[in-house]
Amino acid sequence: MNRATFTLLALLLICALSLVAAQQKARKLFIAIERAQMEERRLNQEALRLEYDQRTLSKSARIQDSARNQLRMLPITPDRTLYLKDAQ
Amino acid sequence: MKPLGFSTSPNLVLRLPMWRSRLMLFLLFFAFLMLLLRALWIQGPGNAFYEAKAIKGTQRELELSASRGKILDRNGQVIATSLEAKAIIAYNDVVPDDLAPEKIRQLAQLLQISEPELRRKLRDERTQLFLKRQVEPQVAQAIKQLEIPGIAINNVYRRYYPEGEAMAHVVGFTNVEDRGQEGMELSHQNELAGHSGKRKVVVDRLGRVVEEMAILQLPQNGKDLQLSIDSKIQYLAYNAVKNAVEQHHAKAGGAVVIDVQTGEILALANWPSYNPNDRSHLSGEQLRNRVLTDTFEPGSTIKPFTVSAALEKGIVQPSTSMAIGAKFLVGPKPITDTHPYGVLTVSQIIQKSSNIGTAKIALQMPPKDMWDLFTAVGFGQAPKIGFPGAVSGTVHPYQKWVPTDQARIAFGYGISTSLFQIARAYSVFARDGELIPLTIERSPGMKSGPRVMSAKTAIEMRDMLELVTEPGGTATKARAEGYRVGGKTGTSHKFSGKGYSANQYRAYFAGIAPLSAPRIVVAVMIDEPTRGSHYGGDVAAPVFSTIVGETLRTLHVVPDTTVKQMALKEFDPVDQVTPNITAQKVVMKR
Repeated sequence: MNRATFTLLALLLICALSLVAAQQKARKLFIAIERAQMEERRLNQEALRLEYDQRTLSKSARIQDSARNQLRMLPITPDRTLYLKDAQ
Repeated sequence: MKPLGFSTSPNLVLRLPMWRSRLMLFLLFFAFLMLLLRALWIQGPGNAFYEAKAIKGTQRELELSASRGKILDRNGQVIATSLEAKAIIAYNDVVPDDLAPEKIRQLAQLLQISEPELRRKLRDERTQLFLKRQVEPQVAQAIKQLEIPGIAINNVYRRYYPEGEAMAHVVGFTNVEDRGQEGMELSHQNELAGHSGKRKVVVDRLGRVVEEMAILQLPQNGKDLQLSIDSKIQYLAYNAVKNAVEQHHAKAGGAVVIDVQTGEILALANWPSYNPNDRSHLSGEQLRNRVLTDTFEPGSTIKPFTVSAALEKGIVQPSTSMAIGAKFLVGPKPITDTHPYGVLTVSQIIQKSSNIGTAKIALQMPPKDMWDLFTAVGFGQAPKIGFPGAVSGTVHPYQKWVPTDQARIAFGYGISTSLFQIARAYSVFARDGELIPLTIERSPGMKSGPRVMSAKTAIEMRDMLELVTEPGGTATKARAEGYRVGGKTGTSHKFSGKGYSANQYRAYFAGIAPLSAPRIVVAVMIDEPTRGSHYGGDVAAPVFSTIVGETLRTLHVVPDTTVKQMALKEFDPVDQVTPNITAQKVVMKR
């Protein structure tokens, strides 16, 4: 066996080992991306739920009820409003 | 006898026959050959079966879920959204038959179903069935903690409607399969619906995904839909209708608000309503979108169109005087007014809502002229606004009208329309004679439409409509502080069984505001008011007034009439002005 054969054999071994390592890395990355995607989905859902909660808490019926009954506010009427306009 | 040595034993010199060893050799060789052939077969042509088996163990097709689009109001506020919920599934072949009664009781309680019903479901012959499709995540967690074998939890979407009752008829709702059943959810099902995708993955022996092989189908989320409805105006219209129905002990009510510049529908309210988030006790009455799907005889609200047709043809002028009298005989039954009038001008006929006056004007023109205008403003045709169930109403062909018909149609009997059609028709007066297309989807920008009457007639009619709300008119209660309004009342007997009911009415009001530069048209209908007055001017006009005032303030429309300013002590507007802003109309009174 000559030197070239040994070199090729060594190269083959290195390639084989790096293939295994690359595959392992790919799987790890894949698992990481899957986790990140799941997290993204969870956060999206969370955002939607918060948006819904915000809407439920700020809906007109609730605001009107709080304003009239808790804060004792009165509706705006033109007789108590001062209208401003741009100066010509 | 000489003993035999081992090497000399005759028994041991016996030689095995050659064929036996050869046979043995052949068998061994043959066995190896078979193994080799088998190996070649498995690797080569016969590998499909094993490959399929291997794939079955390691490859799976997973669904990529897609969500339904949101529905938003004109300001981008959410009015329908899909949130993840949990579905509880029972695998009846796994659920033990001797499940502890305590666990069944707890499960039934969490699912909000009765114990016998749950037992029946668990004994069902189907091996897999939904115990409940949409439960809150907290409930699902509690069910998981019961650790009942064969009870599984899956992810599904559930639709939520934050505005509840106020917006129910506009938005509609979806069923458990996430398909639209009513309202915009139904009419825009195709755009709103999401389409789930599929992907092929490799899993390890524990079922975890370790590699993605291919995306077979990309998931497509549903598109968001933005409506022209303003949640705030919708709520105040809904509230005003609801309060009026309760105050007058009426059966039902409805109101519609239209922006006449853009043709957008700002509010479409109905009462009775329902909560789309909880539809367990839903009745047909609650589901009806009366504004669009109920037709009725519009009564006096149609008089402005009869008079407009006459103005348009030059048959009368607003100042033309006519003798009215107490009765007018056309056909077998005389036409009467609520009060007898002597002589009225055309403007006063509208202001006082005289049936006799309108009938007399109508009979001066050919039926075709009236019919042409009625159909041009949209009566007798279903409005095309992309809403399910919008009705067309009826306008009989003018060739069949006899004078009695023409006289009665002139003041709103023998013709049927929906409240929405009334509002749409009034937009013609607001837009100086143009009929603009209406929409329920957000569509900013000034719109134009075909002209159905001259601007002169429309403006003259607006002036007459303003008289209705002024002292001496039928609807002084329609006035909104700060704004010039104009409109027309309507009170019609309901048709029941064989004829008109003597004590069942519908009260209407349709009008325009502010009159100096029309911005909105509002139409209100209250069905069967029983307490107090039943006249449109007393029942529907105050609702119009509330809706107009609050809507115009919400839209930041500056008042077009002098308003009494509140007393502000020691307030000097001159000192308060900033360089480019000046105070307007500061008439301070105590």
